[in-house]
Amino acid sequence: MAGTTTARLEETRGPDWKPEDLLGRLTLGELLFSNDYRVIALKTILTSLVMLALGGLFALTFRTELAAPGIQFLGARPYLGLLTLHGMIMVFGFLIPIVIAICYYMLPGSLKTGALHWAGAAQASYWLLVAAALLLIIARPDFTWTVYTPMSLRVGGSLVWMGYVAVLLVAVSEFLAGLVLLRNVFAWKGRWSGMPLMGWGMFSEALLLLLSTPLLGAVGLFLLTDWLGATALFDPVRGGSTTAFLWMFWFYGHPAVYLPLVPAIAILYTLLPRFLGRPLWSYVSGVVAFLLLLVLSFVVFHHHFQPVVSKHSWVQRAFQILTLLIFIPSTLHVFNWIASLWQDRIPASARAALPFKFMMGAIFFLILGGVTGYLNAQISVDSSFIHNTYWIPAHFHAMFLGFVGQMAVAGIYYLYPYFTGRLYDERLGNAHFWLWQLGIFAKVMLMYALGYAYFPRWVVDYLPLAEWTTAQWWLTVAAYAIGLGFILFIANLALSARRGAKAPDDPWPVSDVEADFGKAAAPAAK
Amino acid sequence: MQYALGLSGDAAIMFAITVALGVAGILALAMALAWPKRWRLRYRMEIGFVVLLLGLVIYADVNSSRTYQAYEANLPEPAALSGTKGFDAKRAGFDRAVRVYAFQWGFIFFDESGKASRNAVKVAPGEKVLFNIMSNDVIHGFNIPAAQLTTELEPGGVSSIWIRAPDTPGKYLIQCLNYCGLGHAQMKAWLVVEGAARQEG
Repeated sequence: MAGTTTARLEETRGPDWKPEDLLGRLTLGELLFSNDYRVIALKTILTSLVMLALGGLFALTFRTELAAPGIQFLGARPYLGLLTLHGMIMVFGFLIPIVIAICYYMLPGSLKTGALHWAGAAQASYWLLVAAALLLIIARPDFTWTVYTPMSLRVGGSLVWMGYVAVLLVAVSEFLAGLVLLRNVFAWKGRWSGMPLMGWGMFSEALLLLLSTPLLGAVGLFLLTDWLGATALFDPVRGGSTTAFLWMFWFYGHPAVYLPLVPAIAILYTLLPRFLGRPLWSYVSGVVAFLLLLVLSFVVFHHHFQPVVSKHSWVQRAFQILTLLIFIPSTLHVFNWIASLWQDRIPASARAALPFKFMMGAIFFLILGGVTGYLNAQISVDSSFIHNTYWIPAHFHAMFLGFVGQMAVAGIYYLYPYFTGRLYDERLGNAHFWLWQLGIFAKVMLMYALGYAYFPRWVVDYLPLAEWTTAQWWLTVAAYAIGLGFILFIANLALSARRGAKAPDDPWPVSDVEADFGKAAAPAAK
Repeated sequence: MQYALGLSGDAAIMFAITVALGVAGILALAMALAWPKRWRLRYRMEIGFVVLLLGLVIYADVNSSRTYQAYEANLPEPAALSGTKGFDAKRAGFDRAVRVYAFQWGFIFFDESGKASRNAVKVAPGEKVLFNIMSNDVIHGFNIPAAQLTTELEPGGVSSIWIRAPDTPGKYLIQCLNYCGLGHAQMKAWLVVEGAARQEG
């Protein structure tokens, strides 16, 4: 496994990039249309941050409404419109594109290709996503991100067709991103057994995108044709089938929850050895976990609608087993990271680095959110307090905001000197870090508690039960803490781009690794 | 299993396992960051960990399946339920059978005589009640928190659940748990438990 050894040594090397004021020297035209992979990544990251700001603003608005029972200032229609936009913009406009964009930046360096192949397709993917977001914001549909039929065919007013077209555009955009990633992985010249884990992550991501998005595209297309009256595939009143919809949508929908997760994992595998100044605990374990996650992610989707049948057959049981099994590769990733941390001293430079802190926070929330997958998979428990209560948003907010969102932030802080030639402000960064850890932790735990108390999802108003009202009020406070952290984050990025200290040639030196290695060299796991 | 499925007995054990796994993971992370002692893990430890997880997967599957199969064994075959007219609840082992129509946005309950009531259904304390639930418009949910039970309803289909009514008289919430349109938040009903308790035997 000579290739493997090479990959392990490569992990610890610094990046080939040098800090530069890329943002400052770009014209608007270059920023929008350049095929330089760094510019495509930067543009997508900036756009995703705008999406995060919008999605967060929508969330704070309806969170304020939910702070107390009764209708405060939002009616059902605007509430559900904001909720739908929040879900769709966060998933399609922020989570998935931002981590893919960071990987666009890291991939050519990791795989030594020097450029992003098929950059034109990456451009098309970006612009289609922008178009989809604009259509969604104009249409303001109220069918939630799961667009369940036949409800989604009977809501939203005369502009709802834009929402269906947006779903179709998202599918095409993500498919193109999958093509780009696969092409670039195949540009790797070495043995596959030595390909960096970033490459394996992008290989998994590409296949997830390419195999799942055609179903999302079909859902968007058939929603449109059903709505126009040309077909009736999903409308049972006209001979269609909601079962067909559920199977088609979730064949995309469950792999889709891994679309942001897999690049975030790949970013963590890329950054962790660089901060620690030593190889990961296990390369092979990382590859196996990526491949297992890829395969299993396509065969677990039924758990999203398992209480729909009164009598469960072997089909549901098979899905239950497979859903339980997908717990294992996710755990292997966490095991690998903790083993990497544990095998030797952690350099002081890593402990002080903001991206490293966010990475540790991300692992914490991956554990907090991921571990409940063990319960969610079980039909008997899911049919009790889990299915469509606040337990589910607790689970996915821990995974999406706690893990993916924080890994995106870690990636942005890490890449900041390479985009601006400057260093961010430490104090603002630390304030952002703690506001997010406390805010997200409070949010996730309160949502778990509300789910356990059977608080239903998607409601603008609720009964004034003691176990609901107090938690909802504090949940709103937690959301504002997260919002404040985001404002500090953006202020830091904006102010430091002009006032930050000049970045040295290597913005991420490893401080005391020599001393650590001298005390106890870390052999590969046996 | 006093109230069909729910967080008691085996499910409570599953909850405890989940909490234990989460705490173990977070402790391991905290120790890796804060504890001065370093520890070189071996592959055999990871393999052992995977074996443990596989054991937990098997345990969860067997337990969950046993729980819901025992619960479902009390449900009549779907063919016996078609329309539920003429369905003999007593012969099927239930004290009461209730037909439910879920619609945008409410529930209508029909008792065995065909008498309808909107957004409320009366049962006696401790009764074993069968609900045969239909939706005639969109996908809805049917959740009774006091019974710790949820099902999802596809238009045109019949979903059946049974519960043991609470022993304490009172009003218990029934709610839709699936987004079904603008009035989803208002889609609630009440399980009204009143009258003499069911006589055993």
